[in-house]
This record gives sequence, C-alpha cells and structure tokens, in this order.
Amino acid sequence: MATDKVYWKGFDELANTEVSQRLAQNEFAGEIPVEQFLGDEKLMGSAQTSRRDFLKYLGFSTAAATLAACEAPIVESIPYVVKPDSLTPGMPTYYATAYADGQDFASVLVKTREGRPIKIEPGDAGRFNRGTNGRAQASVLSLYDSARLRQPVKAGAETNWETIQADLQQAVASSVAEGKQFVLITGSVFSPSFKSVISALRQNYNNFVHVEVDAVSSSEVLDVWEALTGVRALPSYALSNADLVVSFGEDFLSGSTAQQLSKAFADRRKPGKGMLRHIQVESNMSLSGANADKRIKIKPSQVGSALAYVYNQVSGNNVTVGNLSEDVKGLLKGISAELSSAKGRSIVMVGGNSGANAHLCAAINSALGNIGSTLRPDLPVFICSGNDNVMANAMADMAEGSVGALVLVGVNPAYNRVGFAEALGKVAYSLSLCDRLDETASLTSAAAPIPHYLEAWADFTPTISELALAQPTIRPLFNSKSALEVLGALTGNTQSSKDWIKGTVAGFGLSWSQTLHDGGASLSNNVSISLSETSAKALAGAGEAASVAAEVVEGDFELALYQKTVGAGSQSNNPWLHELPDPITRAAWDNYITISAKDALAIGIVNETQSNGALNGSLVTLKAGNLILQNVPALIQPGQAQGTIGLAVGYGRSASGRVSDGLGVNAYALNLHQGFGAIRIEVEAGEHEFASTQLGNTMMGRKIVNEVTLADFMTDPSGASWNEKPTYHTLDGIKTADESNLWTNHDHESMHMWNMSIDLNSCTGCGACVIACHMENNVPVVGKAEIRNFRDMHWLRIDRYYSTDMTEARAEEENIGAIGKYAAMEVPGESPEVVFQPVMCQHCNHAPCETVCPVGATVHSREGLNHMAYNRCIGTRYCANNCPYKVRRFNWFNYQKNERFTDVNPAQDDYGRMVLNPDVTVRSRGVMEKCTMCIQRIQYGKLEAKKAGQPVADGAFTTACAQACDTGAITFGDVNTSGSAVQVAKNDARSYHLLEEVGTQPSVFYQTKVRNRA
Amino acid sequence: MHYESNVREPLILGNKSYKDITIDVARPVETAAPKAWWIVFSISLVMFLWGVGCIMYTIGTGIGVWGLNKTVGWAWDITNFVWWVGIGHAGTLISAVLLLFRQKWRMAINRSAEAMTIFSVIQAGLFPLIHMGRIWLGYWVFPFPNQYGSLWVNFNSPLLWDVFAISTYLTVSTVFWYTGLIPDFAMIRDRAINPVQKHIYRILSFGWGGKAKAWQRFEEVSLVLAGLATPLVLSVHTIVSMDFATSVIPGWHTTIFPPYFVAGAIFSGFAMVQTLLLIVRRIFKMEDYITIQHIEMMNIVIMVTGSIVGVAYITELFIAWYSGVEYEQYAFLNRATGPYWWAYWSMMTCNVFSPQFMWFKKLRTNLIFTFLISIVVNIGMWFERFVIIVTSLHRDYLPSSWGMFSPTFVDIGIFIGTIGFFFVLFLLYARTFPVIAQAELKTILKSSGESQKKHHDPHGAH
Repeated sequence: MATDKVYWKGFDELANTEVSQRLAQNEFAGEIPVEQFLGDEKLMGSAQTSRRDFLKYLGFSTAAATLAACEAPIVESIPYVVKPDSLTPGMPTYYATAYADGQDFASVLVKTREGRPIKIEPGDAGRFNRGTNGRAQASVLSLYDSARLRQPVKAGAETNWETIQADLQQAVASSVAEGKQFVLITGSVFSPSFKSVISALRQNYNNFVHVEVDAVSSSEVLDVWEALTGVRALPSYALSNADLVVSFGEDFLSGSTAQQLSKAFADRRKPGKGMLRHIQVESNMSLSGANADKRIKIKPSQVGSALAYVYNQVSGNNVTVGNLSEDVKGLLKGISAELSSAKGRSIVMVGGNSGANAHLCAAINSALGNIGSTLRPDLPVFICSGNDNVMANAMADMAEGSVGALVLVGVNPAYNRVGFAEALGKVAYSLSLCDRLDETASLTSAAAPIPHYLEAWADFTPTISELALAQPTIRPLFNSKSALEVLGALTGNTQSSKDWIKGTVAGFGLSWSQTLHDGGASLSNNVSISLSETSAKALAGAGEAASVAAEVVEGDFELALYQKTVGAGSQSNNPWLHELPDPITRAAWDNYITISAKDALAIGIVNETQSNGALNGSLVTLKAGNLILQNVPALIQPGQAQGTIGLAVGYGRSASGRVSDGLGVNAYALNLHQGFGAIRIEVEAGEHEFASTQLGNTMMGRKIVNEVTLADFMTDPSGASWNEKPTYHTLDGIKTADESNLWTNHDHESMHMWNMSIDLNSCTGCGACVIACHMENNVPVVGKAEIRNFRDMHWLRIDRYYSTDMTEARAEEENIGAIGKYAAMEVPGESPEVVFQPVMCQHCNHAPCETVCPVGATVHSREGLNHMAYNRCIGTRYCANNCPYKVRRFNWFNYQKNERFTDVNPAQDDYGRMVLNPDVTVRSRGVMEKCTMCIQRIQYGKLEAKKAGQPVADGAFTTACAQACDTGAITFGDVNTSGSAVQVAKNDARSYHLLEEVGTQPSVFYQTKVRNRA
Repeated sequence: MHYESNVREPLILGNKSYKDITIDVARPVETAAPKAWWIVFSISLVMFLWGVGCIMYTIGTGIGVWGLNKTVGWAWDITNFVWWVGIGHAGTLISAVLLLFRQKWRMAINRSAEAMTIFSVIQAGLFPLIHMGRIWLGYWVFPFPNQYGSLWVNFNSPLLWDVFAISTYLTVSTVFWYTGLIPDFAMIRDRAINPVQKHIYRILSFGWGGKAKAWQRFEEVSLVLAGLATPLVLSVHTIVSMDFATSVIPGWHTTIFPPYFVAGAIFSGFAMVQTLLLIVRRIFKMEDYITIQHIEMMNIVIMVTGSIVGVAYITELFIAWYSGVEYEQYAFLNRATGPYWWAYWSMMTCNVFSPQFMWFKKLRTNLIFTFLISIVVNIGMWFERFVIIVTSLHRDYLPSSWGMFSPTFVDIGIFIGTIGFFFVLFLLYARTFPVIAQAELKTILKSSGESQKKHHDPHGAH
C-alpha cells in the first residue's frame, strides 16, 4: 500500500538520533546569522540592495500605494444569515394579490425579486378583472414614491402612532360628549373587513356618519340602479352575449372594469360571421370612440334627448324628446333600427353621471330585452359606490361646525371637491390616513401614513360573486398602519389586519391558504335581484327621466370631463403614467382642453408647430358659473364634436410630489359633478408648450395600417384583394420583396425563431403594453422637456393615425396635383376614423441597422432577433437613421445622473431605483437601445425548459407587452414550433409585414384591421 | 526649355526676376504682421475657443445638448462633416490632377489650396469623432487586434469605409503638401537672419541642399504622390456619399450620389479657394502671381461643376418620379415644398443659379463679384448637405415618426468653432509658410512671365 511507505531524509532520521530530533524542532536546519548581521554596523553599511531588489521594492510599494489610494466603492448590502426557503437570489417570486386604489380594481400577480416587488402582471385567469391597465402596471412605482408620508404628522411635526391613536380616541370621545358628529370619509368601500369595522363603529358611536366619495362620481347613476334593483351598485355588461354595442359617451374600454370588458370586446370582434358591431355617440374622442365602427358626434347635453329619441324608436312609446337636429335624428334612427333588429343581443351604455340619462339607458335596454342577457343588474359590480348626497350633507354639517371628529381614509376631497377645504376648517379634529401629505392631509389636524397596497393585507368583494385578497409583497417601507387597525382600535378591536382578514375569509367558509394562493375565491351569490322587476321599473320611470333629460339646457360650449392614463388623481405622482402619451392626442405630461378645428378657428385658438417640430397652443380661461379655471392649454382634436370641449381630470395637483406638482390644471375646480356642463371660453394671451410624441397624424396614403371592411373580408377570405403583397418587376419576372433581395438569407429553420403577431383588430390602443415594457426593460423616464424635444425613450410606441378627407382617388377625380394632394393628406378629417398600431423593433432578418454599424454593435441572432450590444455601441446613431420604423432610441444624456432628470426619472431616487429590473442593464449615456423582445424572458424560459428537460412549450413565457395586453392583441412565440399560436397567426390571411416593400423581412407581423360595416 | 505661345495669357505679371519672386514670397514670413491679420486672427481665435467650449460641453453632458431627436439622428454634425470634406477636394484636385495634366496655372495657387485641404479635412475629421455618443471608445472603429473576445469592425458599414478614406486622405495630402514645401522652407532658411527662425526652418527643410539629384528626386516624388492623390479626389467623396447611398432612407438611397458628391466637392472646394486667395492676394500683395487669369480659370471650374451639380439635382427629381416609388416621390416633393422648402430653394439658388453668371467674362473677371459668388456657393453647398441629411430623415417611411430639427446654440457654436479653427490654422500658415510654391513657380517664369513673354514676342516692339 502506498500509504504505508515512509521516506526518511537520511540514516540519522531513520535511526532517530539525538541530533536529528533536535534539528526536527528547528524551523531552519542551519543557524541564521540575524544577531550577527544586525549587531554589526559595518556589515549593515556594506550590505547592498541590488538594482533588482530596488526595483522590486519600488514596484511593490508603488503598487501598494496605488491600491491604497483607490477608494473601493462601498456597497451596502446585507447578506441573508439564514436564506428564506421561498427566496433564491436571481429567481423571481410571484404573489397573487388585488390592486385597488379607489378608482380601479384588478386581480394581479406581483413579481418580486430579492424581496422587492418589481412588476405587476395579470392575475390568474378566472379572477374578476384580471389584467393590468396602465395604472395597475405602474402602481408598483407608486410604492417606491419618495413623496410618500413616512411618519405620522401632527400639526406639521412628526409624531408617533401612539399619539395619533390617543388624539383620535380623545377627539371621538369629546365629539360624543359635545353631541357633535364623528364623520368617516372613505372612497368606495367594497372590503368586507372594512365594512365590518364600519358597522362596529356605527354600533359603538351613535353620532357616527360614514361617507363614501369617489373622485369621479357615479352617484346619480348609482341612485338610479339602487332604485331599480335595491342594490347600490352598477350592473355588469356581458359583451359576450352582444352583437351590437351602442355607447353614449361611455368610454368602457378605459373604465374601471376595462380589463374585463376589453377582453370580451376583443373576443367578440374576431373577424368573421357575427362579429360585434360597435357604435359610439360622444363629444370627446375617447378610446372607445376611436375603436368604434361608427362614431357619431353629439353634445353632452343632447345625450339625454338622444336616448329618449332612441327609446321612443325602439319601444314605440312617446316620451318627451328635447332639441335634436334633423341630422342627429336621422343618425339615431339608423341606430335604433339596428338596435331593434338585435333585440336581446345588443347593449346600450351611457357615460357621465346623469341619473336621467342612466334611467333612459336602462329603459332602452329593458325595451330591447337586453336586461339579463347583455346587461346584468343581477351581477352587480361594487367598485364604485360613492354617494354625493351623503357627502354634501356631511360637508354642510362640517361647515356648520357640527362635526367634532373627522377621519379621512385614502381620499383627497380638498383637491377634488369644491368647498371641502373651507368646510374642513370648521372641524375641531381631523385626521387624514393617507399615502402622502396631499392637498387634504396638509390641512387636517393630523395625518398618518397608510400602507401601499403592495405592503398591506386587504380583502375585497368587487362583484357579488367574488372575494379578492391582497397580501403584502414587501415589508412596509415607512411607519404606516392599516386603516383597518386604526379604526378597529376605536372599537376596542386590536387584532392585526392579517388576523382580521383571516377571520373574514373564515367567515365565508373558505380555506385561508388556498384563497391566499389564488388571490381570491368565488362566492355564492346570496343576493337575489329580480330581473323582471328591474326591467319593469326601468320602463315605468322612462317618461319622467325623459322630461328631466329634456330640460338640460344646451350651452354654447359644453365641457365633458374625461380621464387620461393618469386617472382620477390618486397616482398622479407616477412618472410612468405621465410619460405615456395620451392614446388619442399623443401628448404627454399635460392636460388641456380638446376642441374642434372649426371652433378653434372661430374663437381664435391656434396650434402651431415650432421650428423644432414641437407643438405650441393657445391658452384659455374656462368659466363655469362663477368658477374660473385659468391658463388652460387648448389642443385641436379631430373628431371633437363642435360646440364641445374635453378636459382631463387628475392634473393640477399642488401637494402630490415633485413629479406632478404644477402639471396641468385642476378640472375638479369647475365642480361639474355630472361630468359635463356648459362652459364659457376666453382666449388668453400667451402660449403653451405641448410635449407630443407623434407629430404626423395621418398615413399619407401609405399602406401602414391595413384595413378592410367586414363585407370585403367575408367575400374574399384569402385576402388577395385586400392584403396584397408588394411585388417588383425584375429581369426574371415579377417577384416579391423576399424573393428579390441582395442578401443571403439567415437560417430560419434549425433553431427557435421568435416571432410576434400584432392583431390590429384587437388592439384598443390603451397603452398598458407601453408601461409594461417601460418597467420590464428599465426604460428611462425623460420628462416633459425631452418629450417635447421628440426624444422619448419608449421601446414600444402605439402609433395613432387619423383618416383624412383626401385620398388618391379623390385627388385624381378632382384633378389635384401631387403638392396639393400631399398637403391635404396631412390634415386629419373632421370626423376621422382612428387606427392604432403598436410599433417596436421589428427584428428584421435583413436589418438595415445591422449593416451600417461600424463596430458591429447590432447583430443578428440565430433565433430571428436583432441584438443590440450596449457595451460595444459607440453611438454613431447611423442605425437609428437607417431604421425604416424609427424604433431605435438613443441615450442623449446620462438619465441616471444628469440633474435635468432628477425630478422625473425614478432611477435617480433611492426608493425609485428599487423598481429596476435586475435582469436588464441600465444603459449608459451615448448608446443606442431598442426592443429586445424581452430577451431576458426568452433566456429564462429556455433555461427553465432545459432544466425540465423539455422542449420550450408554446406560451410558456411571453414578452412583457404581450402579457400586459388584455385583449390578447400581441402573440409571441416560436414560429418553428408547429401549431404554435404565432405560427397560426403568421399563416393567417390577415397577416402582413409593415413596410414589406423595403425588404427587411421583419420577425414582427401585423394582422389586418377589420371594420364591421359594409 | 518649355515654350509657351504668346496667345496664352502670362501667369506672372510685371517684370519679375527670380529674386523678386523670392522676396515677394518670403515677405509675409519675414515682416511683422499687418494689423488686419491680427484683427482677423483674434476673431478666429475667439470663434475657435467658443467651439472648443461647445465641444467640451457636448462631451461632458451628452449629445442631447444638440438639437437632434429620435427621428433626425444626424443634422449639423454630418452636414458640417461633408461640407468640410468637400471643401478639401479642390486642393488635391489643383495640386495633383492639374499637375498630371500639366496645368501650369496651378503653381501659384496649389500651395494654399492644399493647405486649405488639410485644414478643412482636420475640421471634417472632428465631426465623426464628436458626433459619437461615446467618443472615448472611438478607437473601436479601427480594426486592431484585441482581447474583447476579439471583436472586429464591421466591414459592411460605410462609416468604417469613411474611417479609412478620411485617414488616408489626410495622410497623403499632408505628405504631398510637405514634400512640396521642402525647397521653399530651405529658401526661407537661407534668407533667415534670426538664429531661432533659421534653426526652425532648418529642421523643417530637412537639410535641403538644392543639388540637381535632389531636384530630380523631388520631381519624381511629386509625380508619384500626385499619382497617389489623384484617385483620392474621386474616392473620398464617393465613399462619403455612400454613407447615404447605401442606406434605405428615401432621398439617401440614390445611385447618383458618388459622381454628384465629387462634383459638388470640387465645386465647393474651388469656391473656398477663391474666397481665401482673393483675401491672401490682397493682403500679401500677390496680385502679380495670383492673376485675374487664375481667378477666371477657377470661376470656369465653378461654373462647370455647379452645372453638373444642377443636372444631378434635376436627375434626382426625375428618377424619383420615374421610379414610381411613393416614398421616393414624397421625399423629393417634400424637399421642395415641405417644411424645409427654404433650405431646398436656398440650395438651388446658390448652387445652380448663381454660378451661371460665370458665363459672362465681365462677371467672372470681376473680383468683388467673384468673391460674393464664392461665399454664396459655399452657403449653397452647406445647404445641399443639410437638405440631403435633414429633409430625408425628418420624413421617411412612417408618418408617426415624422419630426423636425432645429439647432441649439451648441450645434451652431461647434460649427462656428470649426470655421474659427480653420482660419486660425490658415492665418498661422499664411504668416509662417511660403504661401506660393516659389520653387515651382520659378520654373515657369521664363516661359510664362509677362516681361519674358514680351521679350520673345516676334510681333513685339523690337
């Protein structure tokens, strides 16, 4: 055995002599003359350091000094002592939760990385309103908003929760003693646990008043439905049963249940037999109006009369009809005929907050037999339940001084209710439980932080048959406390919000773990609403409602309020929402009145393009009664009904945070509680600078968005007549762009081939995908000035085109020359049709960008993608110039450091930075960037498949944009996987490449839009 | 000896001896600078420093300080680049091509024309550098062996061709120019009294001794270098034009670009030579050497090349219509009638219309008129590049991305800075270098000098 062998140095060691034992004790066998050397000065003096030694010492000491001089960056990172089981660094963890911010509700999945929520994704299929609109997507950034309140505040100074709780207890007790009211103002409450705390408060304090208030009120509409069904809730729409949607000013594609409705809408609008037809009757150009097959312009005050007219037509009754022009009557007659022929398969909706209109709408649906089929009052939605009458009473009581204690939870009436701030001054003690020191909280006696929805436990019953749970995904960033606990303590209930919600879930007889895992559960419907009774009541009250509607006085100008992506105002400090341009106007970071070109000309409003391409517009003053709103920018909007203007709410904040303070004007200040009203406009001196991401508004006669009518689609399903591929006459005969190219083709067969299909028929243009892309890919926010400089960084944009009155055919007919023709083509029509087209990097297989880069920083992958190597890029911008789709974005500045962007770019904020996706590089200044088709997701998906030993399954992963799309307009996948969704889409007759004639062979293709009309 | 017909106008006026030429050429170097020189120099220096400041601001902050945007990724930067490269071409054409064609009239102007070439190529070279987002990595455009996974440049990219074209051009021009300067430096060295000056010119003249063998080699080298430089006249601007011609952008994607760009380059280069020489001739009193005949010859070149450029413009329009491509048609219609119509018509007026005046002898021999036209042509040629670059980019395929461009103070400042830099270099050159290739000029004194011609005139007074 080798290990048995013993080696010895010599026979002395073998014999183990004394000498050898002694030597073995010493480190060195021989004696080292240290003493001798150091003791003898002479010897020292004569000792020489050789040149080699000197250089060695010099080298080492220089290196040491240099190293010591370099300050190593100190990165504060604390490793786990014990790693949590559920958490692997580098791997995402998902939590099912529910998003509710007083306006929207969504069932979502939250993606966390290393304990930080970084992305909001659509919840499980089957959950109510699963999906993510722009606000839900962006809400994760609101969590990291450094403007959030961090500590309880009392009289402007920081305090602690004990003081707040004690003061509140005291104030409530003294209000009881003084015989004054104890008022609680909240948003719409549809949380069972919160409802139980409210009933406990009501039992404990007989002076207790609960007020629900929505920023954008539906109070009158709720009153109508309460009268009809006995439940204060809005009915739900079952678009899946509808063949015809007629919407009077209701923007159902961007409302609070838009995720649900958009999906149903898109599903029913698959081209073919029985495709849903959609008619929109409205004043502002809304997202729904832009998607309509037919759009009719009408003033908001005429909506009631129009509904009455339609009611008479479809029911044969004869209720009062107000003033309507013959033109409008003609159009309405047509609609009524269509409705009558789709009885029980149609739906009529109405927007705004007019009770009379809502009642007439219900009556029409009742007359058409839609109640119970397309309109479901028996499946009410509880997201919105504010009551303006109660609020008005409470404000009157406050002003009288009969309110002793006031608690506000997550509402900001000083911003969105005229007269609230004055009334608040008369209240002895007021406490705002809020996320920031907003307009209201800065006026109350005390303010205390409540957690963001991603930090808190909550439960919701958004519909009668759904329970949704919200769970924390991160430890609270600040010293916040759930309103449930604060109010619960007043009733002597000190359990934590988690226990509270656990109790509620148990009360429904549900399993806690399963419900938590699923993010909710279905509930059995225990409220019975009689459909026939509802229908009968709706018909019975129609005459009365019609006479109310007929009394609405028409103004010279009428204003209809609407909401942009920013929403009603609760998320107005979120830079992603501001950076996303409005889907219709394509203007970002602003609100403004929208006005028709004719009216603008008549009253002297001008929109002018500056030498750098940016748009300037006139400023106006708006007057509604004695309320005045000054410095309102005016934007000319094609498709705006004449005599009307639109203005978005949610802007004009003064205490929201540095992103939004001072942006736009506060439309709530006009106090239009019905959402519309007469208005006077005065043009002011001065100009407003808009920040638009799109300046060319029409397609200039080019085949960019391919469109076909349903009739043509049905007669020629092959697409030969309406989806012609461009061809070239060559020496070898007629060839397509693919066949006549100079380049050798890439191998498209042997590997994955990632392709994307975008269905222009399903895309509603909402913009959720743009925000999803923004957050997934760490796209910098550049702010208003840079957007105005036409330097937005969006990797994915949604182009919006208006139709124009000038066509090739018309030019030929009227003998208009090329110059006149193109000049006219640039001008959108007065009542244009609108199309949306999401455009990202097309991942060309013969990419113009790849050939021109001098350093080869952008190259082709074997999987059909166009790669961008940021590290290699030197920033010549040649690729961007040569891109026919103009999808490449250049880092003009160091967005992460440059102080121009401190206020807007979350990456410059210690909190905001936490939202960055660790899988994606943050790009430096001077490099080009663009859509990667979420290559980090592709890699992750491929690795997961590899670990599982399986081929990559179709649909196992998708891009952020495709995932965010509620309507399923974007399909992503491997076109080489047989039967994959994207392969099916590619072979569809509707599929075409954008700018195919350039010969770029894109990996992205579009599906022709089909309009449902003859 | 070469005999030149009396029908030809003399190229050197007055009764000049070899020594007179020496004295005239050396005068600016040996005498104190006139006040005018100092004034112009100071202004140029301030412009230059302002430009340096703007460049530093750009490099320190980002390309965002320019007026570019997501649609228009190049504007003044590449306009200036092409403009300056174009200007350079006249120098090489005069010194190399005219040498090969034995055009003796080039001798009075080739030195300054070539100096202009080098100084303008220096200005041109600045722009591709500073237009990079990450100039500190600019060396990546060179194919050098490396350890970044052995990354190589992309030989498909016209920008890479530019790198080679411009660097070759600058090198060859500089060597050619310097070779010609050696005997003239020696002349100044021999005349210098100040020991410092003498020492400097001794170094600069490489110990030129003026032996017959040296002259023979000098002639040979000149010829070889002329042969090398001649293809560059055509190749450099051809390659610059390919930056545009090989792209897919309507208005850029045009096969006519190489000849059209070369003609334009010569056109603008001659105009710049005119501008400079009319000043030099006046300030340094060189009217006897740079004669009206020289001016006229150059005006003829301007007229011819201007007309070629005009034909190119019209051909572009015709081809756009004839191609039947809607994008192509719109691009050219938009140039003439879109938001940048003023740039297009400025270009047309300056480049096509104004040189036509040169058909009239009275006008092409009028110094003030020539000077004005030379400025107008250079403005026009700047607009030509602006029109090609900006009006093609600002409205290409998808109207959703259509935009506009407006320069910022930095864009303007850098352009002004390069003009300042150019004049700083040229003014320093004019004070320290022999501005006329006197050694060469002396070779034609006997055949083309005015008095010598009279002397030989068989029908003369004697």
